Amino acid sequence: MVIAIALVATAGTAGTVLLQLASDDGGPDPGLQVSLLAWIILPYVLGGLVAWYRSPESRFGPLMIAAGFVTLVSSLSAANWTPASTLGAAFDLVPFAAFLHVFLAFPTGVLRSRRERILVGAGYAVAVGLQVAGLLLGGIPGNAIVAIDAPGVAADLHQVQLTLMAGFDLIALGVLFGRRSAAGRPLRTPVTILINSYSLSLVLAAVLLLTQAFSLVPDASLTVQRTMFLVAGLAPFVFLLAMLDARLARSAVGDLLLELRSVPPRSDLREPLSRALRDPTLSLAYWLPEYETWADQDGRPVHLPGAGEPRSVTLIDSEGRHLAALVHDPSLDDEPQLLQAVGAAAGIALENGRLQVELKAKLQELEGSRGRVIEAGQKERKRLERNLHDGAQQRLIALSLDLGTYSSKLDEDPETQSRIQVAREEIAVSLDELRAVARGLHPAVLSAHGLGVALESLAADSAVPVKLNVAVEKRLDESIEVAAYYVVTESLANIGKHAQARRATIEVTHEGDELVVEVVDDGIGGADSEGGTGLRGLADRVEALGGRLRVWTPSGGGTRVRAQMPCG
Amino acid sequence: MRVALAEDSVLLRDGLARLLADEGFDVVMQCGDADELMRRLAGHAVDVAIVDIRMPPTHTDEGLRAALEIREKYPGTAVLVLSQYVEIGLAMKLLSDSAEGAGYLLKDRISDVAEFVDAVRRVAGGGSAIDPQIVSKLLSRRRDDDPLAELTPREREVLELMARGSSNQGIADSLVISVGAVEKYVSSIFGKLGLPSTGSESRRVLAVLLFLSG
Repeated sequence: MVIAIALVATAGTAGTVLLQLASDDGGPDPGLQVSLLAWIILPYVLGGLVAWYRSPESRFGPLMIAAGFVTLVSSLSAANWTPASTLGAAFDLVPFAAFLHVFLAFPTGVLRSRRERILVGAGYAVAVGLQVAGLLLGGIPGNAIVAIDAPGVAADLHQVQLTLMAGFDLIALGVLFGRRSAAGRPLRTPVTILINSYSLSLVLAAVLLLTQAFSLVPDASLTVQRTMFLVAGLAPFVFLLAMLDARLARSAVGDLLLELRSVPPRSDLREPLSRALRDPTLSLAYWLPEYETWADQDGRPVHLPGAGEPRSVTLIDSEGRHLAALVHDPSLDDEPQLLQAVGAAAGIALENGRLQVELKAKLQELEGSRGRVIEAGQKERKRLERNLHDGAQQRLIALSLDLGTYSSKLDEDPETQSRIQVAREEIAVSLDELRAVARGLHPAVLSAHGLGVALESLAADSAVPVKLNVAVEKRLDESIEVAAYYVVTESLANIGKHAQARRATIEVTHEGDELVVEVVDDGIGGADSEGGTGLRGLADRVEALGGRLRVWTPSGGGTRVRAQMPCG
Repeated sequence: MRVALAEDSVLLRDGLARLLADEGFDVVMQCGDADELMRRLAGHAVDVAIVDIRMPPTHTDEGLRAALEIREKYPGTAVLVLSQYVEIGLAMKLLSDSAEGAGYLLKDRISDVAEFVDAVRRVAGGGSAIDPQIVSKLLSRRRDDDPLAELTPREREVLELMARGSSNQGIADSLVISVGAVEKYVSSIFGKLGLPSTGSESRRVLAVLLFLSG
């Protein structure tokens, strides 16, 4: 097939050469004209064949071949045999439309938008439709399909046609430049050359069409035409250069393979992938089937950009299921083979990375659920404290108030007075007990006034002299404040019970984006940091917030409890 | 004496209003939350506002914030804050500039009518009322090289009453001694603690509290 096309093209070109040379209408320098025609036809057809051979699924190869053949057919206009010259004349402007199509469809062969499809469609319609209309009106005297002899109208029509084609070329130029500025990063150099050569030939085409339309300087028109042919013929070579560039990129895939083989396996795959694809903005997402979601390298859920967003996504699948997704610059869409090759090279490493990310996601889920359990407990305790405060405590106070009022009115009865006094004292004891219970449930002062005020009361109640330093001004998440409060409560309780300390210090500070709570005493040390449920429970609470709790308690060397919690 | 009440529990608010009316106070407003209190205070001259710390909407520190605002906006209005918990930190916040015309008591205290009424009168008259629980906590606080150890038991009693906001006369009545004796104890205490004498009875409350909590 390929050979057949190549042969047809070569033979056709040879025929064209002979035809042009034998023509009565060769114009000046027929030799140069013929070489330029061959210069366009052969590179397009042969370049198209190479492209088709290399990527059969791409429509760019066939498109280039078609452009070559259209040029071939248009050159028939010089034939001495009327039906052939009429056919050639009908195709006279089709190469312009075909080049427009090729330029806009590079490199996939597919036009990117409806706007581009309309532009190219209009190009073909104007090139063929108006040309045939012109021939019917006798635009070229003696052609095979003259219907009405109205050369004046035909000439006007031709002028409109050429102007329209020039306009289409200029619009296409705008589209190409627009595309270049829309690409998120500089395109590869050969591709840039390519686009510039396209742009140049589009400008030349427009100039050529306009000079013809308005019959400006016929000699210059010929020069412009030839220059345009020269440049248009360059395009296939530049295209081959771009393919060579893809080949270079493929050697980056080789480097990637070597890099991914390193031991131990890399956990960050984004960086080598980004280098291989030469896209510094690349990001990587892994598919977590269990959660039916995409996640980043830390296991956090991410959204893949959808249609209409300025980022492109290439999915990497393995054995029929998603493995990972590359979120990259849209300009990489022009190199699907490179993306596929990189995806294939990174396959095993990606599978590895996916498993790691899945593990991280599970860990996060576990931490999240632990945090939610603690948070739910805290919420419940808060609710109970509120109920006690607004309910039982309030009622007891009101009752005590009533008793007080009665007692102040019973001046004459010392017996009843003293009974009321006893009752009031009972109520006071109950209130104290309720207060202790409520405070144990949830330190209300903490919610209202923060760590500084709440810790002050704790320090004042301590069994040993305490030096308190709270260097945190702003309020933190309630869960963090509560955890810090319990760290201090539990530590002070332990100091009071076991440490035989003379003094203690409490330090609450920010270190970077962490809250650090440190309680140090000068007691006997050797505290049981594992057996006691108090410290274990504290560690759970602190770890659920993504923090760490550590206890140093050398025998005879005091005890130091240090909690670190991220607090943004 | 005109009193404003802010307390979200209707039961307690009614009880308090009745008690104060019985004792000859003129309860000019009863509010269920701090916003209402601030709104109604704007058009009224009130001698003392009695404010619950925890009120709607958040049930955290509305009352305290209202109290601080009143102290700033209406210097002629004394503020007595009531709470089911007493916190040293909150007391110090309320008294940050001065203890004059300010009080902070545990809600339970209202049942001892005579003492409570005395506290309201004292605060309204520019004095202070600090809950005995706060003072005893401060006094029992463990210290290195405790200067309180040098005080005699009687001096400790005087210091405690002083910190609660009692006047010399009040201390004299409580301990059944003469005002002159109280004055002697006071200057001896200030000497032992190394505190400069402030002269005024209401100013010394803050000085003593600052010393004890420092």
